[in-house]
Amino acid sequence: MTSDERPPIALSEIAACFEGLIPAQIATASADGVPNVTHLSRVHMVDDERVALSNQFFSKTVRNLAENPHACVVVVDPLTYDSYRMMLVYERTERRGPIFERLRRDVDAIAAITGMAGIFKLRSADIYRVVEVEQVLGAVHVAEP
Amino acid sequence: MIAAEWAELLESPCSLIVGTVDAAGLPDGSRGWGAEVLDDRHVRLLLSTQAKVTRRNVEHDGRIAVTATHFFTFESVQLKGVVTAIEEATPADRIRFDRFCAGAAQAIAASDGAPVDLVMRFKTASVYACTIAVDAVFDQTPGRSAGAQLAPVPS
Repeated sequence: MTSDERPPIALSEIAACFEGLIPAQIATASADGVPNVTHLSRVHMVDDERVALSNQFFSKTVRNLAENPHACVVVVDPLTYDSYRMMLVYERTERRGPIFERLRRDVDAIAAITGMAGIFKLRSADIYRVVEVEQVLGAVHVAEP
Repeated sequence: MIAAEWAELLESPCSLIVGTVDAAGLPDGSRGWGAEVLDDRHVRLLLSTQAKVTRRNVEHDGRIAVTATHFFTFESVQLKGVVTAIEEATPADRIRFDRFCAGAAQAIAASDGAPVDLVMRFKTASVYACTIAVDAVFDQTPGRSAGAQLAPVPS
């Protein structure tokens, strides 16, 4: 079965990926086509069509998204170690409200654990619409029928 | 361009993530599966044959970003450059790939407290090799200096 033949994956089906146990990765591109790739401590599920990312200091990523609203995020399920590739489109930025507060608590907790309090500081919660989710196939999937 | 300390990180079993872009400007994220620093400006990177979008992008445009992160210290470096050659993996590449996966799985298992057999589910089926001509190197270690250009030294 190819990825084209697989049924669509709902965000709720991969909710474990959004617990923040395994860092995600985000790839963006500038308006003139220069890619950038970095880790994210956590991707937050907002609803079945949206995720939120914390904007702390990944400034190149933020600059790229201001020029080109598309992003590719890869998350990992901490229970199965399966990876999922999500195509996102930037929707809006929130600097207060429940989503912002949820991300701020999470950033503060990570900062305390890693000794980065005062360095990790949430600037905004950026909301993205998820336009595509696909499982990243590995050797184990080739072996499976 | 690529200092010895960064070469050591790049060639270690680290978290190796890759960004490319297609003709329409859509970015793609995937993983690298081992790297060899050929000289001060060139890196041989192993990519998954299962990552079809990455393959299309490196064949079409060639612009690529690669970030290597130490599993325990989070020390990170990002290379940006252009893929100048793509070829099938050699026997030496396949040995590098197997060593990279085994080392990375051990490190992840130690970090996460997960069984190595479970972590090894992340392993891709097979790899090919590409040569990257590196244009710039950036500090990507989490913190205020993240994103700072290391080389060429900004004037």
